[in-house]
Amino acid sequence: MTMEKQQSREALIAAMAADMAPVQRVKPSQGAALIAFAAVVASVCCIAIFEFWTGQITGDASPFFWITNGLLLLLGASSVSGLVSSALPRVGSRGNAPFWSAGMLALAPISAFITVLSWGLNNEHAHHAANVMNDPATWYWECGVYGSMAGAIVALAAVLFLRRGAPVSLERAGWLTGLAAGSLGALAYNITCPLDTLAHVAFWHTVPVLFWAVAGRLAVPHLIRW
Amino acid sequence: MVADEPTFARLMVAAQDGDKAAGNVLLTEVGVWLERYFRRRVPPHQIDDLVQEVLIAFYTKRATWDPSRPFLPWLAAIARYRWVDHLRKVYKHDAKELMDDDAVEDSEEEVVMARVSLDRLLSGLPEKQARVIEMVKITGLSIREAAEKTGQSESLVKVNIHRGLKKLATMVEEVE
Repeated sequence: MTMEKQQSREALIAAMAADMAPVQRVKPSQGAALIAFAAVVASVCCIAIFEFWTGQITGDASPFFWITNGLLLLLGASSVSGLVSSALPRVGSRGNAPFWSAGMLALAPISAFITVLSWGLNNEHAHHAANVMNDPATWYWECGVYGSMAGAIVALAAVLFLRRGAPVSLERAGWLTGLAAGSLGALAYNITCPLDTLAHVAFWHTVPVLFWAVAGRLAVPHLIRW
Repeated sequence: MVADEPTFARLMVAAQDGDKAAGNVLLTEVGVWLERYFRRRVPPHQIDDLVQEVLIAFYTKRATWDPSRPFLPWLAAIARYRWVDHLRKVYKHDAKELMDDDAVEDSEEEVVMARVSLDRLLSGLPEKQARVIEMVKITGLSIREAAEKTGQSESLVKVNIHRGLKKLATMVEEVE
Protein backbone atom coordinates (compact mmCIF):
# COMPACT_ATOMS: atom_id res chain seq x y z
CA MET A 1 0.00 0.00 0.00
CA THR A 2 1.33 3.44 -0.90
CA MET A 3 1.52 5.82 2.04
CA GLU A 4 0.98 9.56 1.83
CA LYS A 5 1.50 12.38 4.30
CA GLN A 6 -1.31 12.89 6.80
CA GLN A 7 -2.64 15.82 8.82
CA SER A 8 -0.58 14.67 11.79
CA ARG A 9 2.38 12.41 12.33
CA GLU A 10 0.33 10.29 14.74
CA ALA A 11 -2.27 9.59 12.04
CA LEU A 12 0.45 8.60 9.59
CA ILE A 13 2.10 6.27 12.12
CA ALA A 14 -1.26 4.68 12.97
CA ALA A 15 -1.98 4.08 9.27
CA MET A 16 1.45 2.57 8.65
CA ALA A 17 1.36 0.41 11.78
CA ALA A 18 -2.07 -0.94 10.81
CA ASP A 19 -0.70 -1.80 7.38
CA MET A 20 2.53 -3.38 8.70
CA ALA A 21 3.01 -6.74 6.97
CA PRO A 22 5.98 -9.14 6.94
CA VAL A 23 8.60 -8.21 4.37
CA GLN A 24 11.21 -10.26 2.59
CA ARG A 25 14.59 -8.71 3.33
CA VAL A 26 16.61 -7.36 0.42
CA LYS A 27 20.03 -9.01 0.38
CA PRO A 28 23.08 -8.04 -1.68
CA SER A 29 23.57 -11.71 -2.57
CA GLN A 30 20.17 -11.70 -4.33
CA GLY A 31 21.32 -8.77 -6.46
CA ALA A 32 24.63 -10.46 -7.27
CA ALA A 33 22.79 -13.65 -8.25
CA LEU A 34 20.32 -11.73 -10.44
CA ILE A 35 23.09 -9.84 -12.23
CA ALA A 36 25.18 -13.00 -12.65
CA PHE A 37 22.12 -14.71 -14.11
CA ALA A 38 21.61 -11.77 -16.51
CA ALA A 39 25.26 -12.04 -17.58
CA VAL A 40 24.80 -15.76 -18.27
CA VAL A 41 21.62 -15.03 -20.27
CA ALA A 42 23.53 -12.38 -22.24
CA SER A 43 26.33 -14.90 -22.93
CA VAL A 44 23.87 -17.59 -24.04
CA CYS A 45 22.15 -15.10 -26.36
CA CYS A 46 25.51 -14.09 -27.86
CA ILE A 47 26.58 -17.71 -28.30
CA ALA A 48 23.21 -18.54 -29.91
CA ILE A 49 23.60 -15.69 -32.38
CA PHE A 50 27.37 -15.63 -33.04
CA GLU A 51 28.57 -19.09 -31.87
CA PHE A 52 31.18 -19.77 -29.22
CA TRP A 53 34.75 -19.12 -30.40
CA THR A 54 36.52 -22.44 -29.97
CA GLY A 55 39.91 -20.76 -30.36
CA GLN A 56 39.81 -20.22 -26.61
CA ILE A 57 39.96 -23.97 -26.08
CA THR A 58 42.30 -24.91 -28.90
CA GLY A 59 44.94 -22.44 -27.76
CA ASP A 60 44.51 -20.03 -30.66
CA ALA A 61 43.49 -17.06 -28.52
CA SER A 62 46.17 -14.39 -28.15
CA PRO A 63 47.43 -13.13 -24.77
CA PHE A 64 45.63 -9.82 -25.46
CA PHE A 65 42.35 -11.70 -25.57
CA TRP A 66 42.94 -13.26 -22.15
CA ILE A 67 44.33 -10.14 -20.50
CA THR A 68 41.47 -7.94 -21.71
CA ASN A 69 38.77 -10.41 -20.81
CA GLY A 70 40.41 -11.04 -17.43
CA LEU A 71 40.36 -7.30 -16.72
CA LEU A 72 36.73 -7.14 -17.84
CA LEU A 73 35.88 -9.97 -15.48
CA LEU A 74 37.62 -8.25 -12.57
CA LEU A 75 35.87 -4.98 -13.35
CA GLY A 76 32.56 -6.80 -13.58
CA ALA A 77 33.09 -8.54 -10.23
CA SER A 78 34.18 -5.40 -8.39
CA SER A 79 31.44 -3.21 -9.86
CA VAL A 80 28.71 -5.77 -9.13
CA SER A 81 30.02 -6.11 -5.58
CA GLY A 82 29.95 -2.32 -5.11
CA LEU A 83 26.59 -2.02 -6.83
CA VAL A 84 24.71 -4.57 -4.73
CA SER A 85 26.04 -3.13 -1.48
CA SER A 86 25.10 0.38 -2.63
CA ALA A 87 21.47 -0.77 -2.90
CA LEU A 88 21.22 -0.76 0.90
CA PRO A 89 21.31 2.55 2.80
CA ARG A 90 24.49 3.10 4.77
CA VAL A 91 26.73 5.93 5.88
CA GLY A 92 30.49 6.24 5.72
CA SER A 93 33.06 5.87 2.99
CA ARG A 94 32.66 3.27 0.29
CA GLY A 95 35.43 1.43 -1.50
CA ASN A 96 36.67 2.64 -4.85
CA ALA A 97 37.75 -0.77 -6.17
CA PRO A 98 35.45 -0.61 -9.24
CA PHE A 99 36.95 2.70 -10.32
CA TRP A 100 40.49 1.40 -9.89
CA SER A 101 39.50 -1.68 -11.90
CA ALA A 102 38.12 0.58 -14.63
CA GLY A 103 41.43 2.45 -14.62
CA MET A 104 43.29 -0.83 -15.04
CA LEU A 105 41.07 -1.80 -17.96
CA ALA A 106 41.73 1.59 -19.55
CA LEU A 107 45.38 0.52 -19.77
CA ALA A 108 44.42 -1.85 -22.61
CA PRO A 109 43.37 0.80 -25.16
CA ILE A 110 45.98 3.27 -23.88
CA SER A 111 48.81 0.74 -24.27
CA ALA A 112 47.55 -0.30 -27.68
CA PHE A 113 47.45 3.33 -28.78
CA ILE A 114 50.96 4.05 -27.46
CA THR A 115 52.31 0.86 -29.05
CA VAL A 116 50.90 1.62 -32.49
CA LEU A 117 51.92 5.27 -32.22
CA SER A 118 55.49 4.42 -31.25
CA TRP A 119 55.69 1.93 -34.13
CA GLY A 120 54.44 4.60 -36.49
CA LEU A 121 57.00 7.14 -35.28
CA ASN A 122 59.91 4.74 -35.68
CA ASN A 123 60.97 3.91 -39.25
CA GLU A 124 62.26 0.53 -38.20
CA HIS A 125 58.81 -0.52 -36.96
CA ALA A 126 56.63 1.58 -39.23
CA HIS A 127 55.54 -1.49 -41.16
CA HIS A 128 53.97 -2.91 -37.96
CA ALA A 129 51.91 0.24 -37.58
CA ALA A 130 50.92 0.02 -41.27
CA ASN A 131 49.87 -3.61 -40.76
CA VAL A 132 47.69 -2.65 -37.81
CA MET A 133 46.07 0.20 -39.71
CA ASN A 134 45.45 -1.98 -42.78
CA ASP A 135 44.06 -4.88 -40.77
CA PRO A 136 40.24 -5.02 -41.21
CA ALA A 137 39.96 -6.30 -37.61
CA THR A 138 41.24 -2.95 -36.36
CA TRP A 139 38.21 -1.23 -37.83
CA TYR A 140 35.62 -3.90 -37.06
CA TRP A 141 33.62 -1.65 -34.73
CA GLU A 142 30.55 -3.89 -34.73
CA CYS A 143 32.00 -5.83 -31.77
CA GLY A 144 31.63 -2.69 -29.65
CA VAL A 145 27.97 -2.45 -30.62
CA TYR A 146 27.23 -6.12 -29.95
CA GLY A 147 28.98 -5.99 -26.58
CA SER A 148 27.00 -2.88 -25.65
CA MET A 149 23.75 -4.55 -26.68
CA ALA A 150 24.55 -7.54 -24.48
CA GLY A 151 25.20 -5.09 -21.64
CA ALA A 152 21.57 -3.96 -21.78
CA ILE A 153 20.49 -7.28 -20.24
CA VAL A 154 22.90 -6.80 -17.34
CA ALA A 155 21.86 -3.16 -16.91
CA LEU A 156 18.20 -4.17 -16.76
CA ALA A 157 18.90 -6.67 -13.97
CA ALA A 158 20.97 -4.11 -12.05
CA VAL A 159 18.26 -1.45 -12.28
CA LEU A 160 15.58 -3.93 -11.20
CA PHE A 161 17.58 -4.81 -8.11
CA LEU A 162 18.41 -1.19 -7.28
CA ARG A 163 14.72 -0.30 -7.53
CA ARG A 164 13.96 -3.01 -4.96
CA GLY A 165 16.62 -1.58 -2.69
CA ALA A 166 17.10 1.96 -1.48
CA PRO A 167 20.31 3.42 -2.94
CA VAL A 168 21.22 6.69 -1.24
CA SER A 169 23.99 7.65 -3.66
CA LEU A 170 22.28 7.69 -7.02
CA GLU A 171 25.23 8.93 -9.08
CA ARG A 172 27.51 6.24 -7.69
CA ALA A 173 24.85 3.60 -8.34
CA GLY A 174 24.58 4.93 -11.91
CA TRP A 175 28.32 4.65 -12.53
CA LEU A 176 28.47 1.17 -11.01
CA THR A 177 25.51 -0.02 -13.08
CA GLY A 178 27.25 1.28 -16.19
CA LEU A 179 30.58 -0.35 -15.32
CA ALA A 180 28.89 -3.68 -14.52
CA ALA A 181 26.72 -3.63 -17.64
CA GLY A 182 29.59 -2.59 -19.91
CA SER A 183 32.14 -5.07 -18.58
CA LEU A 184 29.86 -8.10 -18.28
CA GLY A 185 28.06 -7.31 -21.53
CA ALA A 186 31.38 -6.99 -23.36
CA LEU A 187 32.59 -10.23 -21.79
CA ALA A 188 29.38 -12.01 -22.82
CA TYR A 189 29.97 -11.05 -26.43
CA ASN A 190 33.77 -11.31 -26.48
CA ILE A 191 33.75 -15.08 -25.95
CA THR A 192 32.18 -15.38 -29.39
CA CYS A 193 34.61 -13.11 -31.23
CA PRO A 194 37.54 -14.71 -33.09
CA LEU A 195 39.25 -11.36 -33.72
CA ASP A 196 41.96 -11.20 -31.08
CA THR A 197 44.52 -8.72 -32.38
CA LEU A 198 45.88 -6.10 -29.99
CA ALA A 199 44.12 -3.15 -31.60
CA HIS A 200 40.77 -4.89 -32.04
CA VAL A 201 40.61 -6.36 -28.55
CA ALA A 202 41.93 -3.25 -26.80
CA PHE A 203 39.42 -0.91 -28.45
CA TRP A 204 36.29 -2.68 -29.61
CA HIS A 205 36.15 -5.24 -26.81
CA THR A 206 36.37 -2.55 -24.12
CA VAL A 207 34.37 0.30 -25.61
CA PRO A 208 31.04 -1.03 -24.20
CA VAL A 209 32.40 -0.15 -20.75
CA LEU A 210 32.86 3.48 -21.76
CA PHE A 211 29.46 3.59 -23.44
CA TRP A 212 27.62 2.05 -20.50
CA ALA A 213 29.50 4.02 -17.85
CA VAL A 214 28.31 7.27 -19.43
CA ALA A 215 24.82 5.92 -20.15
CA GLY A 216 24.52 4.51 -16.63
CA ARG A 217 25.62 7.76 -15.01
CA LEU A 218 23.14 9.76 -17.10
CA ALA A 219 20.10 7.48 -17.14
CA VAL A 220 20.17 5.23 -14.08
CA PRO A 221 19.72 7.89 -11.33
CA HIS A 222 16.38 8.85 -12.89
CA LEU A 223 15.28 5.21 -12.92
CA ILE A 224 16.17 4.39 -9.32
CA ARG A 225 15.19 7.60 -7.51
CA TRP A 226 12.86 6.83 -4.60
CA MET B 1 14.05 9.73 25.91
CA VAL B 2 14.94 8.27 22.54
CA ALA B 3 15.34 4.49 22.18
CA ASP B 4 18.86 3.10 21.91
CA GLU B 5 20.41 1.00 19.15
CA PRO B 6 19.56 -2.46 20.62
CA THR B 7 15.94 -1.41 21.22
CA PHE B 8 15.62 -0.04 17.71
CA ALA B 9 17.14 -3.19 16.25
CA ARG B 10 14.84 -5.47 18.26
CA LEU B 11 11.73 -3.50 17.26
CA MET B 12 12.82 -3.42 13.65
CA VAL B 13 13.26 -7.20 13.46
CA ALA B 14 9.72 -7.57 14.84
CA ALA B 15 8.37 -4.93 12.43
CA GLN B 16 10.01 -6.69 9.46
CA ASP B 17 8.18 -9.82 10.57
CA GLY B 18 4.87 -7.93 10.49
CA ASP B 19 4.38 -7.21 14.22
CA LYS B 20 1.96 -4.24 14.17
CA ALA B 21 2.41 -3.29 17.84
CA ALA B 22 6.19 -3.28 17.54
CA GLY B 23 5.79 -1.35 14.29
CA ASN B 24 3.76 1.32 16.04
CA VAL B 25 6.32 1.76 18.83
CA LEU B 26 9.18 1.70 16.35
CA LEU B 27 7.61 4.33 14.07
CA THR B 28 6.94 6.58 17.04
CA GLU B 29 10.52 6.25 18.29
CA VAL B 30 11.92 6.74 14.82
CA GLY B 31 9.80 9.90 14.55
CA VAL B 32 11.34 11.24 17.76
CA TRP B 33 14.85 10.35 16.61
CA LEU B 34 14.25 12.03 13.25
CA GLU B 35 12.91 15.15 14.89
CA ARG B 36 16.16 15.49 16.81
CA TYR B 37 18.17 14.67 13.70
CA PHE B 38 16.52 17.43 11.67
CA ARG B 39 16.40 20.02 14.44
CA ARG B 40 19.82 21.35 13.50
CA ARG B 41 19.40 20.82 9.80
CA VAL B 42 16.21 22.53 8.70
CA PRO B 43 14.05 25.42 9.95
CA PRO B 44 11.53 24.31 12.62
CA HIS B 45 8.43 24.78 10.47
CA GLN B 46 9.77 22.24 7.94
CA ILE B 47 10.65 19.53 10.46
CA ASP B 48 7.31 17.76 10.72
CA ASP B 49 6.88 17.64 6.97
CA LEU B 50 10.36 16.16 6.57
CA VAL B 51 9.87 13.68 9.42
CA GLN B 52 6.69 12.42 7.73
CA GLU B 53 8.55 12.10 4.42
CA VAL B 54 11.30 10.04 6.03
CA LEU B 55 8.81 7.93 7.97
CA ILE B 56 7.12 7.02 4.68
CA ALA B 57 10.50 6.24 3.11
CA PHE B 58 11.44 4.22 6.19
CA TYR B 59 8.20 2.25 6.01
CA THR B 60 8.44 1.66 2.25
CA LYS B 61 12.08 0.59 2.37
CA ARG B 62 12.07 -1.33 5.67
CA ALA B 63 13.05 -4.52 3.84
CA THR B 64 16.46 -3.03 3.05
CA TRP B 65 17.69 -3.18 6.64
CA ASP B 66 19.93 -6.15 7.35
CA PRO B 67 19.64 -7.30 11.01
CA SER B 68 23.34 -8.16 11.00
CA ARG B 69 24.15 -4.47 10.55
CA PRO B 70 23.54 -1.56 12.94
CA PHE B 71 20.14 0.10 12.67
CA LEU B 72 20.88 3.76 13.33
CA PRO B 73 23.44 4.26 10.52
CA TRP B 74 20.86 2.72 8.16
CA LEU B 75 18.21 5.12 9.43
CA ALA B 76 20.63 8.05 9.26
CA ALA B 77 21.44 7.21 5.62
CA ILE B 78 17.73 7.31 4.72
CA ALA B 79 17.24 10.54 6.68
CA ARG B 80 20.20 12.17 4.96
CA TYR B 81 19.03 11.04 1.53
CA ARG B 82 15.61 12.60 2.14
CA TRP B 83 17.19 15.72 3.65
CA VAL B 84 19.34 16.27 0.53
CA ASP B 85 16.26 15.79 -1.61
CA HIS B 86 14.39 18.25 0.57
CA LEU B 87 17.21 20.81 0.32
CA ARG B 88 17.17 20.54 -3.44
CA LYS B 89 13.44 21.26 -3.49
CA VAL B 90 13.79 24.10 -1.00
CA TYR B 91 16.64 25.75 -2.89
CA LYS B 92 14.86 25.36 -6.18
CA HIS B 93 11.35 26.43 -5.27
CA ASP B 94 10.97 27.61 -1.72
CA ALA B 95 14.21 29.23 -0.66
CA LYS B 96 12.50 32.30 0.67
CA GLU B 97 10.82 30.22 3.37
CA LEU B 98 14.14 30.04 5.17
CA MET B 99 13.61 33.70 6.05
CA ASP B 100 9.93 33.48 6.95
CA ASP B 101 8.87 34.94 10.27
CA ASP B 102 6.79 31.96 11.38
CA ALA B 103 10.03 30.09 12.02
CA VAL B 104 10.98 32.61 14.67
CA GLU B 105 7.78 31.95 16.60
CA ASP B 106 8.95 28.45 17.50
CA SER B 107 12.56 29.00 18.31
CA GLU B 108 14.92 31.67 17.15
CA GLU B 109 17.87 29.48 18.00
CA GLU B 110 16.70 26.84 15.56
CA VAL B 111 16.54 29.37 12.74
CA VAL B 112 19.95 30.71 13.61
CA MET B 113 21.39 27.16 13.64
CA ALA B 114 19.81 26.37 10.29
CA ARG B 115 21.23 29.60 8.95
CA VAL B 116 24.66 28.87 10.41
CA SER B 117 24.67 25.42 8.79
CA LEU B 118 23.69 27.02 5.51
CA ASP B 119 26.43 29.64 5.79
CA ARG B 120 28.95 26.92 6.55
CA LEU B 121 27.88 25.03 3.45
CA LEU B 122 27.96 28.16 1.31
CA SER B 123 31.47 28.94 2.53
CA GLY B 124 32.62 25.74 0.85
CA LEU B 125 31.62 27.09 -2.56
CA PRO B 126 33.61 29.40 -4.82
CA GLU B 127 32.67 33.00 -3.95
CA LYS B 128 30.96 33.72 -7.29
CA GLN B 129 28.65 30.71 -6.88
CA ALA B 130 27.89 31.37 -3.21
CA ARG B 131 27.05 35.04 -3.87
CA VAL B 132 24.52 34.36 -6.62
CA ILE B 133 22.91 31.47 -4.74
CA GLU B 134 22.57 33.72 -1.70
CA MET B 135 21.09 36.53 -3.81
CA VAL B 136 18.70 34.54 -5.98
CA LYS B 137 17.79 31.50 -3.92
CA ILE B 138 17.80 32.98 -0.42
CA THR B 139 17.33 36.75 -0.67
CA GLY B 140 14.94 36.36 -3.59
CA LEU B 141 16.52 38.64 -6.20
CA SER B 142 15.81 37.97 -9.85
CA ILE B 143 18.52 36.60 -12.15
CA ARG B 144 18.78 40.03 -13.80
CA GLU B 145 19.16 41.84 -10.46
CA ALA B 146 21.85 39.40 -9.35
CA ALA B 147 23.62 39.85 -12.69
CA GLU B 148 23.61 43.64 -12.27
CA LYS B 149 24.85 43.46 -8.68
CA THR B 150 27.66 41.02 -9.35
CA GLY B 151 28.65 42.16 -12.82
CA GLN B 152 28.15 38.63 -14.14
CA SER B 153 26.09 38.02 -17.27
CA GLU B 154 22.63 36.50 -16.73
CA SER B 155 23.77 33.23 -18.31
CA LEU B 156 26.77 33.11 -16.01
CA VAL B 157 24.53 33.70 -12.98
CA LYS B 158 22.37 30.75 -14.05
CA VAL B 159 25.40 28.55 -14.62
CA ASN B 160 26.91 29.51 -11.25
CA ILE B 161 23.65 28.79 -9.45
CA HIS B 162 23.29 25.44 -11.19
CA ARG B 163 26.88 24.38 -10.47
CA GLY B 164 26.80 25.77 -6.95
CA LEU B 165 23.62 23.89 -6.05
CA LYS B 166 25.03 20.71 -7.50
CA LYS B 167 28.19 21.09 -5.44
CA LEU B 168 26.12 21.98 -2.38
CA ALA B 169 24.12 18.78 -2.76
CA THR B 170 27.35 16.78 -3.02
CA MET B 171 28.73 18.48 0.10
CA VAL B 172 25.56 17.65 2.03
CA GLU B 173 25.75 14.04 0.88
CA GLU B 174 29.31 13.81 2.16
CA VAL B 175 28.36 15.07 5.62
CA GLU B 176 28.64 12.22 8.10
